[in-house]
Amino acid sequence: MLSVENLHAGYGSSEVLRGTSLHVKQGAVVALIGANGAGKTTTMRAISGMLKPTSGRILLEGRPVQGLPASAIARLGLAHSPEGRKVFGPLSVEDNLLLGAYSRLPKFFGFRSKAAPGLASVYELFPRLHERRKQAAGTLSGGEQQMLAIGRALMASPRIILLDEPSMGLAPVIVLEVFNIIRRLKEAGITLLLVEQFAKSALEVADYAYVMEHGGIAVEGTPDELNQNEKVLAAYLG
Amino acid sequence: MNSIIIVQMAVSGALMGLVYALIAYGFQLTYATSKSINFGQGELVMLSAFFSLTLLDAGLPYWLMVPGGLLFGAMMGLVVERACVRLSLEQKSEGWILLTIIFGLLSFSAAENIWGRDDRPFPSPISADAFNVFGISITPLELSVAIGVFAVMGLIELFKHKTLLGKAFEAVSADRDAAELMGISATRTIMLSFGLSGMVAAMAGILISPITTVGPTMASALILKAFSVAVVAGLDSGFGVVLIGIALGALESLTSFYLGSGWREAPGLILLIMALALRPNGVFGKANIRKV
Amino acid sequence: MLKRLLLLRGTELVALVLLASIPLVVNNSYALGLLTLLTIYGILLIGLDVTVGYLGQVNLAQAAFLGLGAYAAGLSVTVLGFGIPAALGVSMLIGLVMGALLAFPALRLEGPQFALATLSFSALCTTVLNEWESLTGGAQGLSLSRPAMLGHAMKASGFYWLCLVLLALVWMAMRNLLSSQWGRAFEALRDSPIATDAMGVGTFRHKVAGFALGSSLGGLAGGLYAFNFEYLQPQTFNYDMMVVLLLGVVLGGRKSLWGAFFGASLIVLLPNLLSSRLLFEIISGLGFLLAVVAGGRGLLKKTTQPFQAIAPVVAMGILVAGGFMVENTENWRKAIFALMLFSVVVGLPDGIMGFAAQYLARLFGIKSAALPAASMLDDVLPANTRDLGVLLELKNLKRYFGGVKAVDGVSISIQKGHVHGLIGPNGSGKSTVVNVISGLYAPTSGEVLLLGKPLPAGSLFSVARAGVSRTFQNLQLFGELSALDNVMLALKDAYRIPVLLVLLGFSRAEDRRAQAEALALLELAGLADQARVRAKDLTYGSQRFLEIARALARKPELLILDEPAAGLAHPDVAVLVEMIRTIKRRGITTILIEHHMDVVSKLCDQVTVVDGGQVIARGTPDEVNRDPQVIKAYLGVVPDEIIPA
Repeated sequence: MLSVENLHAGYGSSEVLRGTSLHVKQGAVVALIGANGAGKTTTMRAISGMLKPTSGRILLEGRPVQGLPASAIARLGLAHSPEGRKVFGPLSVEDNLLLGAYSRLPKFFGFRSKAAPGLASVYELFPRLHERRKQAAGTLSGGEQQMLAIGRALMASPRIILLDEPSMGLAPVIVLEVFNIIRRLKEAGITLLLVEQFAKSALEVADYAYVMEHGGIAVEGTPDELNQNEKVLAAYLG
Repeated sequence: MNSIIIVQMAVSGALMGLVYALIAYGFQLTYATSKSINFGQGELVMLSAFFSLTLLDAGLPYWLMVPGGLLFGAMMGLVVERACVRLSLEQKSEGWILLTIIFGLLSFSAAENIWGRDDRPFPSPISADAFNVFGISITPLELSVAIGVFAVMGLIELFKHKTLLGKAFEAVSADRDAAELMGISATRTIMLSFGLSGMVAAMAGILISPITTVGPTMASALILKAFSVAVVAGLDSGFGVVLIGIALGALESLTSFYLGSGWREAPGLILLIMALALRPNGVFGKANIRKV
Repeated sequence: MLKRLLLLRGTELVALVLLASIPLVVNNSYALGLLTLLTIYGILLIGLDVTVGYLGQVNLAQAAFLGLGAYAAGLSVTVLGFGIPAALGVSMLIGLVMGALLAFPALRLEGPQFALATLSFSALCTTVLNEWESLTGGAQGLSLSRPAMLGHAMKASGFYWLCLVLLALVWMAMRNLLSSQWGRAFEALRDSPIATDAMGVGTFRHKVAGFALGSSLGGLAGGLYAFNFEYLQPQTFNYDMMVVLLLGVVLGGRKSLWGAFFGASLIVLLPNLLSSRLLFEIISGLGFLLAVVAGGRGLLKKTTQPFQAIAPVVAMGILVAGGFMVENTENWRKAIFALMLFSVVVGLPDGIMGFAAQYLARLFGIKSAALPAASMLDDVLPANTRDLGVLLELKNLKRYFGGVKAVDGVSISIQKGHVHGLIGPNGSGKSTVVNVISGLYAPTSGEVLLLGKPLPAGSLFSVARAGVSRTFQNLQLFGELSALDNVMLALKDAYRIPVLLVLLGFSRAEDRRAQAEALALLELAGLADQARVRAKDLTYGSQRFLEIARALARKPELLILDEPAAGLAHPDVAVLVEMIRTIKRRGITTILIEHHMDVVSKLCDQVTVVDGGQVIARGTPDEVNRDPQVIKAYLGVVPDEIIPA
């Protein structure tokens, strides 16, 4: 589904990614863990086109997408729910969700009826969003905004979803809920690439995981393998 | 007698004020998507008016000239976006303020040399013969300004609120990066807003020229007042610019009647500085709560 | 160190001597006129650079201040019969006062609104100068003659030397000011006004001061302008002149005295160069070649974007081609200016000096000045663990936003020396509580008492001065400043020298002391080796730590940490916990907002849990962890099963 090969990227003169490679199979949940500054978020940003890689290849369903603008990559079926949620604050919850499906809807008229089935299934997954569909997204609580960000990504009917720090800044009870939702997405067969600071929980839901250090992949393996790796255990799962 | 004159002045001024409102609306369009405005918008109005006049001189009928002029305005809007705004936005700098000022300077110099420094009349098929309403004389020409302004603003507002593309405008405004991730090309949305803004400027030029004549200096006269209207009303309230535009137009017309035409710029400027001091986000603007 | 001083000061001295001796060698009144204008514009642009460069705002009013200053001097002489020094004093004063008056409303604005406000002010000035005919002579203009000074009639060369001396004085004063705490504050404002206030530096007063300072230099230049031309007309000081002045600052290079000087030379010389056809062709040709070479080099090395490389080439190409097609280049003067300015703004955004400074620094191997040794941490943050009792008390605190009751009757009292945890679900109101304490919002009702005395309401600045310091959930660092400058800016009680002495250069010793203290705090945060790195270039974790170091520089009674561990991964969280323990050992009372429950459990003496704007539980971490209400509303599970970080 998604292959990243020897990716280099950075901001200005400082290089953050120094040859990262990873693969996500169809229907798999893959976790990316590591310390701050290791390059997890930068990897996500490079994949979705928010940051232009300096070299390396990114293949989405076999098609090279490196260097394309983010909007073009989104139209190819990649949904990125960014760090910090980034909902459209002044817009209503429903408008946020409609815009999530922007690339597959008619741009002028009749977009509401075309979006109805997708909207219904997102509301089914997140009843809270249905209650608040008329409310401005900026007035939602942090947890609700995270639900909206995930719902918005689902609206695109994407081939793969990138979830960056979905639990950041959330209360423990909401963090549990977020992981429950990730489990439900997994059961529904959705392909996921997940960046998480709660490494242990991430490994519980993931099929495969990569540990990043200094802009590259230091260790990779199934959750069981990583749980037995003493170095990983000490540094990230302690 | 005297009160009739005052009302007459106020009404004529208000109709002119609608044109300021229309130009100010052009600022709002681009501010919404990119938080930037074209400081050379007045020159864009002037260029479009001159271009339209050239079309008429070339023998094109008035009603065919209008779409031609609008198209020219839209094209110039795109030029401004490409040459003066895009790079600054990418670098998150405020270089666009300088670059759009430069655009204005270049346009002014070009117009002066191509079309001459003198003011020229702009023919219109709409009659300039006044008719009376309750003792106040209004010309069909003035009325056409009001109709044109409301038609253009109404159509664009409809587009912004009822279509998905219009919602994309707001999405880009709220969070450019997130909009990109939804498959909305921020660059294209901003281009569209500058195109629309240029078209609106051209419309303003075509509407006002038959009343004021066309000349290179018409830009500076219009732009300051349009700025005042936009800032006093707030850069995000389409409804507000109309009210403030009407009020400013009337006020200005009365000032120049009582204090002499040299002072006609003053009320707008004073209003602007006062409004900024009291309500920095504009009278109709949304106050933003500081968040950390 | 010595080499640096010698090179930098030496160049200035040589330039001054050269400029001063020109009239002795060359006896040409035209050249002398240009030189005089150069010094006047030099002063004017140094003033403009304060707002455009340091405060980072596009200021379109400097031409108006030049005009106001010129008319003030002119009228002082013709109406009041003042001599030159008094008239120049009046010019400066007018600039200062009008600048401050405009600054009060205008500086609440950012970006385009600020530019618009200054633009309107200029237009208003022109209108008034034009219409107030009884005083200014209106469009007819105002004639004056240069009065004698100290009993001697002033010849052209004498006047030039006067201007040059004034430029040198302004230069030295501004260099001293801008390298002091004032310069740091100006730059900090641009990056984060909120943090500037929260660090007790006073956003507003610095902005107004900076703007008024720049305007008063504009006024001074105006006075000299009047004595130079001896004839004034309102329309001289119009929009076109403003554009030319901006051209000078941008072309020369922002945030640089030399940049202002080069900019002034260019705008003085350009009109003269352009009036000759041949010179125009040579200049446009050279410009085109330069654009092609620089653009091509940038493209090959991939250091510039394609647009940035190509657009100047196109603009200069139009200029060259236009030169052949147009009969009279004089008519196209504005267009020529526009094309040149466009090329510079796009292709060389840092101006000539920005480009040259880097190059020269490398050529001569000039390094930034060495840092002093760090102070002892005990001297900077004396440990104080003896006092006990209540430090902060919230009494029935409420804060509503419209109909939303974000905080609805919260009472908390916090013991001295404690780390007090504040936890709760998202949107529970805990951030609003600390925003009210720190003065970002005024409370709707209720009291906040620090050591029994009410804290100022609704002013970050006053609360910071009262001894409360904070970090921000979304980082509010001064991104363009170095890590060291970030901490130095916030240092409490480090800067006592009055501004007049700062202008004279008496602030160096206290700056050294401040550096040493700031270094000690950077050591505490583990950032001592990155002191010269710009804050925005630090890693995310380091930025979080830098914010804590900066907050400590306030030497606070109360430290508020707003989600310091948010976004930190496991290894950095451990560093953070150690850092907060060190702070605690110094006896600093801390409020900690945090979602990482293991961090809260490790560090906090007392915890208050908020939900729906009200307190639902309080006690030790152990107690609240077992509180059924807390488990239901916040934790979701019993503590042993909690998600580990």
